[in-house]
Amino acid sequence: MNFEEFFSIFEGCELKENKIIIQSKLYDVIDFVKNNYSFDILKEIIAVDNQSLGIELIYHLYSTIDEEDLFISFSTNNSEASSIVNIFKSAQADENEIYDLFGIKFIGNNELKRLYMPENWQGYPLRKDYVQDEMRQNWNDNDNT
Amino acid sequence: MTTTTLKLNLGPQHPSTHGVLRLLLELDGEKILSCEPDIGYLHRGMEKMAEKLSYIKYLPLVDRIDYLAGFFYSELLCRTVEKALNIELSDRVRAIRTMLLELNRISSHLLWIGAFLMDLGATSPFFYAFREREMILSYFEKLTGQRMMYNYFVFGGIRKDIEFLDDVQKIISILPEKLHDYERIITENPIFKRRCVNKGILEPEIGLNYSITGVNLRASGIDYDIRKNDYLYQGFDFAAVILQGKDSWSRYKARILEIKESIKIISQALDYLKKNEKLEQKHINPLNIRLPEGEYYQEIEAPRGLASCYIKSTGEDRPYRLKWRTGSYYSVNLLRKLLVGEYLNDAIAIAGSLDIILPEVDK
Repeated sequence: MNFEEFFSIFEGCELKENKIIIQSKLYDVIDFVKNNYSFDILKEIIAVDNQSLGIELIYHLYSTIDEEDLFISFSTNNSEASSIVNIFKSAQADENEIYDLFGIKFIGNNELKRLYMPENWQGYPLRKDYVQDEMRQNWNDNDNT
Repeated sequence: MTTTTLKLNLGPQHPSTHGVLRLLLELDGEKILSCEPDIGYLHRGMEKMAEKLSYIKYLPLVDRIDYLAGFFYSELLCRTVEKALNIELSDRVRAIRTMLLELNRISSHLLWIGAFLMDLGATSPFFYAFREREMILSYFEKLTGQRMMYNYFVFGGIRKDIEFLDDVQKIISILPEKLHDYERIITENPIFKRRCVNKGILEPEIGLNYSITGVNLRASGIDYDIRKNDYLYQGFDFAAVILQGKDSWSRYKARILEIKESIKIISQALDYLKKNEKLEQKHINPLNIRLPEGEYYQEIEAPRGLASCYIKSTGEDRPYRLKWRTGSYYSVNLLRKLLVGEYLNDAIAIAGSLDIILPEVDK
């Protein structure tokens, strides 16, 4: 697929292996590739905690027309990213899971809530700095509701 | 007169939720105004555990992601690791894996047919479907020692060579006539049709927007089957089942047709395996598996939609990050949209038709 137009509009993006790495304008980029390159399905959002490099969000898109995959990578250092629920409704599921396990706040998504963890749980289990301390080990639902 | 809406908790222990799913419904009379799925009752922390365990220790766990189709997730983990280590499978291993995956797909679809009809209030098909599924599970038990959590695939191949091929031959010779019986009882049954035809319409663009894959999407007319490009299935003659109906009935029909396609694949694999070649596979030391630094991604067509595995490795003996994508997780999210405007008694039929299984949702 020809991404020349894409790189001329969104400056500062680079192609690394099979991933497009973007620094900003997450919402606009996803919106652009959906409308201009017929990437019609967001297969999943993968979050990876790269410690000092921030938390990386990999948006995996697919085009059922061209039968092609696309990975878009966006790293955040302040635990915030813009929500793309208005573009892909399936992102609601992914964003909620990432909020629960990585503590990323998706700006524009008002329905984020704890999914697997208890509502008043402290910390985000898939972050690398998460430790299973005494408080968490002795957690009792009845004491904390 | 003042009217108020009613909040109704469907689940987590409702028999039609196939596990523990809680749907918070807002009702106006019998009509559903909104639906809010609440999940997490079966969460086992599969992704967190992967970061703590070496690959070989993690392998027996992954069958439990979907306990009705355990082979698929061990296959997925094995394939991702094999991809990272550049291991090519021999034709015989490929045929064995394909055959077992398709048998597993049939057993999973059979359970779904039984459970779905049970949701609709028909009890007999449940017993018929379980009778046929039992043949497959007995075969798996004979072969692997386990009925549901097989742990039979290993990195680079399979644990031991395939046996008892006559049993498989018997299964695929019996199944078509049993399917014919199901179709006679169920497919054109007027009560069944009234509950399923034109109910739970999933428009293709909505399906794509909600990331629905697998049978549910193919029953809405979109030709997307990973198996076409999967090297495991190269050389097998089969067709992806595409239906245009978009409703619950099409999703049912698509699964019946898919079982027939699976039987085709199995009989081809069986013909190949009967030639009795010697099993060739590369032995790798399971205690010292280290993936080279990098990111690896693999996907597979599981019975409930696209399943994928992402591994990021830093060169250690365990993943730095491992992520699963499962089909049911997105099907649950779709309920927010699909159930709105429907009646409560249809809600059970519609949710059932999507083939949601909760261990896959919660991981």
